[in-house]
Amino acid sequence: MAWLFYVAGAVAIIATLMMLTRLNAVHALLYLIVSLLAVAIVFFVIGAPFVAALEVIIYAGAIMVLFIFVVMMLNLGRRAIQIESAWLKPGMWVGPVILAAILIAEVAFLVAGPGGPKIGAEVVGPQEVGIQLFGPYLIGVELASFLLLGALVGAYHVGVAKVKEEHGNHSDESRAVAGGDFVRAGTDRPAGSP
Amino acid sequence: MSTAVANTTILSELQDKFGAGSIVPQETRDHIPTFWAPRDQIHDIVRHLKSGVPSPYKMLYDLTAIDERVRTHRDGEPGSDFTLIYHLLSFERNEYIRIKAALKSDDLHVKTITNVWPSANWYEREVWDMFGIVFDGHPHLARILMPRTWVGHPLRKDHPARATEMGPFRLPDQKQDEEQEALRFRPEEWGMKRSSEDTDFIFLNIGPQHPGTHGVLRIVLQLDGEEIVDCVPEIGFHHRGAEKMGERQSWHTYIPYTDRIDYLGGVMNNLAYLTAVEKLAGIEPPPRAQVIRVMLSELFRIISHLVWYGTFAQDVGQLSPVFYTFNDRERAFGIIEAICGARMHPNWFRIGGVAQDLPQGWDSMIRDFIKYLPPRLIEYDKEIMRNRIFKARTQGVGAYSAEECIEWGVTGPNLRACGFEWDFRKKQPYSVYDQFQFDIPTAQHGDCYDRAAVRVEEMRQSLRIIEQCVNNMPAGSYKSLQPLSAPPLKPDNTMHDIETLITHFLGVSWGPVIPPGEALGAIEATKGNNGYYLISDGSTVSYRTRIRTPSFPHMQTLPNLCRGLMVSDLLAILGSIDFVLADIDR
Amino acid sequence: MEIVIHIVTVLVVLFVVLNIAAGLIWVERRLLALWQDRYGPNRVGPLGLMQVAADTIKLFFKEDWVPPFADKGVFILAPAIVMLTVLMSFTVLPFAPGMQITDLNIGLLFVLAMSSLGVYSVVLGGWSSDNKYSLLGGLRAAAQMLGYEVFMGLALMGVVLMAGSFSLRAIVDAQSKMWFIVPQFVGFVLFLIAGAAEMRRLPFDIPEAESELVAGFHSEYSGMKFGMFFVGEYVGVVLISALISILFLGGWHGPLLPPIVWFLIKMFAFIAFFILLRAGLPRPRFDQLMSWGWKIMLPLALANLLVTGAIVLAVK
Repeated sequence: MAWLFYVAGAVAIIATLMMLTRLNAVHALLYLIVSLLAVAIVFFVIGAPFVAALEVIIYAGAIMVLFIFVVMMLNLGRRAIQIESAWLKPGMWVGPVILAAILIAEVAFLVAGPGGPKIGAEVVGPQEVGIQLFGPYLIGVELASFLLLGALVGAYHVGVAKVKEEHGNHSDESRAVAGGDFVRAGTDRPAGSP
Repeated sequence: MSTAVANTTILSELQDKFGAGSIVPQETRDHIPTFWAPRDQIHDIVRHLKSGVPSPYKMLYDLTAIDERVRTHRDGEPGSDFTLIYHLLSFERNEYIRIKAALKSDDLHVKTITNVWPSANWYEREVWDMFGIVFDGHPHLARILMPRTWVGHPLRKDHPARATEMGPFRLPDQKQDEEQEALRFRPEEWGMKRSSEDTDFIFLNIGPQHPGTHGVLRIVLQLDGEEIVDCVPEIGFHHRGAEKMGERQSWHTYIPYTDRIDYLGGVMNNLAYLTAVEKLAGIEPPPRAQVIRVMLSELFRIISHLVWYGTFAQDVGQLSPVFYTFNDRERAFGIIEAICGARMHPNWFRIGGVAQDLPQGWDSMIRDFIKYLPPRLIEYDKEIMRNRIFKARTQGVGAYSAEECIEWGVTGPNLRACGFEWDFRKKQPYSVYDQFQFDIPTAQHGDCYDRAAVRVEEMRQSLRIIEQCVNNMPAGSYKSLQPLSAPPLKPDNTMHDIETLITHFLGVSWGPVIPPGEALGAIEATKGNNGYYLISDGSTVSYRTRIRTPSFPHMQTLPNLCRGLMVSDLLAILGSIDFVLADIDR
Repeated sequence: MEIVIHIVTVLVVLFVVLNIAAGLIWVERRLLALWQDRYGPNRVGPLGLMQVAADTIKLFFKEDWVPPFADKGVFILAPAIVMLTVLMSFTVLPFAPGMQITDLNIGLLFVLAMSSLGVYSVVLGGWSSDNKYSLLGGLRAAAQMLGYEVFMGLALMGVVLMAGSFSLRAIVDAQSKMWFIVPQFVGFVLFLIAGAAEMRRLPFDIPEAESELVAGFHSEYSGMKFGMFFVGEYVGVVLISALISILFLGGWHGPLLPPIVWFLIKMFAFIAFFILLRAGLPRPRFDQLMSWGWKIMLPLALANLLVTGAIVLAVK
């Protein structure tokens, strides 16, 4: 199964290179996602399926969606595409498709094939990961949670400042009072009353 | 209305303030206090009426103009080529006032009153579009109903009324390019910026073809993300020149056109038009005709509200109610069809009465419907009005206060949703509404939910009125024997007496000749106050037909309601204010 | 030989799933019609059954059109992603004893991973169309996904704790005495809601929202590319219904009837439930969905996890 590891590794490297050379932000992000998926396969092959799944869920699935979300909000489409089309017109989309196809084939082979993932070390399941995290590496987990809490508070602070600023722009305060969120709206008066 | 007293008090108040010579009263058929005022003082007089007099005239009810150049009967009126007409409404006095200003062809300028009433904005644009009268100081005096490339002002008497008078239509390349260029969207022309300090705005066209606009309406949205920074409704796609047609159709043959103004209101439109015509002609329809009119109008109120109910639920994403309410509407249409022979546009009221007597078995059909609908309404309450998601989408969204409503000319259920109990059926009873018992439903918050709640309750009240009609339908004729009613009934001796025969023949072929004068007939239509302001020049056609529709000012308030909200909220607001595009554009 | 059996299993599952999904279009239209006082498709074939075939043929023969202003590659890729990710999820589902393509020891995580990738189809489809409505649809999809994906995963962790494994087969086996819907009722409700959001169906069809965004992210799609989104949505319904049956209703467990029949009964019950949801509910605003997800569902899911963990620990 070692060849799976190398193929996935190669895909990850190529996809990352492609990501770095793209001029269109969304295309670059697509390559980054392919790269992350390839890394997930690498994890899977070397016997860490739990980490592989988390890699896909958290990095490819959540964080990159945020990235794309932000890029979509930025109005750089037309100019960036003009530059990009001047550079790389033909076969632009073939790359990620082929790379992803290889990955899919690998996943299919891994999943459908007999035996299961093996390369050198034994498989580390979710239970072992959990026991390790909350045993010897507890201090690491705690530190990480501190960091995340700090980030959370910071993000909240930034977000609140922004919201306040926006509210100054609009005279309509009624919605914030009565219908701003799903929970409070509708509970401030009896059901069915006109 | 206490005409004589009001005339004297408000007249003397105005004359004290602005000088006896400048305020000239005029007698009208509808007995609304009517004064001619000099053009230069119009702005001050109007402002004085809004804020200076006791029991002020708080609402700009209508603003329009007349091209007087080919009019013959102008007894006692100051000479003018064009006349501007301001209709104001005082709720405390429960009274309209009509201020007229004379303009000459070579000097069609007047000071804008948009700084007195913001709602004058669209009205003044419409007057400019239709008559070419310039309002000095208006913030955005552009065409509103006609295309931007239109040449001429359609409601002038010298503008052709039909395509055949205009020569064949040609579209050379150059003109096509111009038309295309005129369609280009430039935010600056609409008073919008392309970007602010930290964001570029998205400009999103909602419409003219869009599933959420209920017709050909275009709303240009200026979005920051999905938050609406500003919005501009563009109307006129449904403009058919109904007012111009009124100057060509006889008094009788114009009735079918009124059906199509608020096309969900059916015969309710006939009633508004005929209220004005009958004031001019001095006809009092017999009691049976009046009760039939009330009954069918209320049935159409229910029909219109059912359409609104289902489509509003669909606007906030609920799929099923629209099928239920349309099924109920079909049942109501079954009754309309049995009585009138048509469904959406029955064209069934006539000058002086209705087209025919009620068919056999009408009462059992209506009684069945009265039994059928209330349980359905209770079911819809459970499904829609008490749904938590529906409440979350509509409560607190798009709210306005009663003061804002009055300021912007909002009437009908939208006004009552703010807690202001004002229903023209009760306050200024027309037809025979004063003989019926019903309540005026109101709500307090003025948001989307309350607008819905008011309409739902109105359906129940309409059922009450219909039930009283069925139980107390008077006997007698369905049409007045008055000679001006159209088409005239055949007296017994028509076929034996040449004089009667000729009169009848003329009455049927030419239609009635309505005596000169002017009258405003305003009713509480399905969506708010619908008024027909008719000027007769003593002929078989109207000299000027002005249709004041409720949806027009309602649409104008849209930007106020949706600034700072989301696109989803815009659709909820659009659904809740219940407009009909034909009612806006006419 | 083993490989041949594997391939046959894969093909059989693919065939059955796609056919159920296509049949669902008919089922949904008829059921909705039933609940909405109308007939639904009843002209093509007996009971209108051939309507799906007619629609499919129509979609196949439509021009395969890509708008000239679209980002062509991404535009084509987007509908493929939705089909791919949803179908991949079926590889780890145990339908009945012995009826499973593969029993991954992280099966549940695999499904979650695929569902989190599935949102790309909508986001990229919306972005690549270069249409403002599509873009808003894509933005809404991303925002919505952030709102529900977190509590969706956490809602299932209670089940994982009780079963002691991520393997879906082990989870089913752990329910031989009692279905998890009883001890994990909160998790069940949370997952039901998250599942509806995952499928982007009413009341959570916010990226599509035809009364607001015309057709949202797929406004510019036509022909079979639209068909992929369309069928993908129905495959998604099958997937979520199957998952709920497996995770909370004991999968194939049940008396008398053969296991696969029990599984299908449970699955179709939930399919019908989702169709009923569509018939009944209006659509919340997406900021409401987000605040709801973060302020109510997430704390609920965390509390559920905490309580379940404590009880599991105490019992052991």
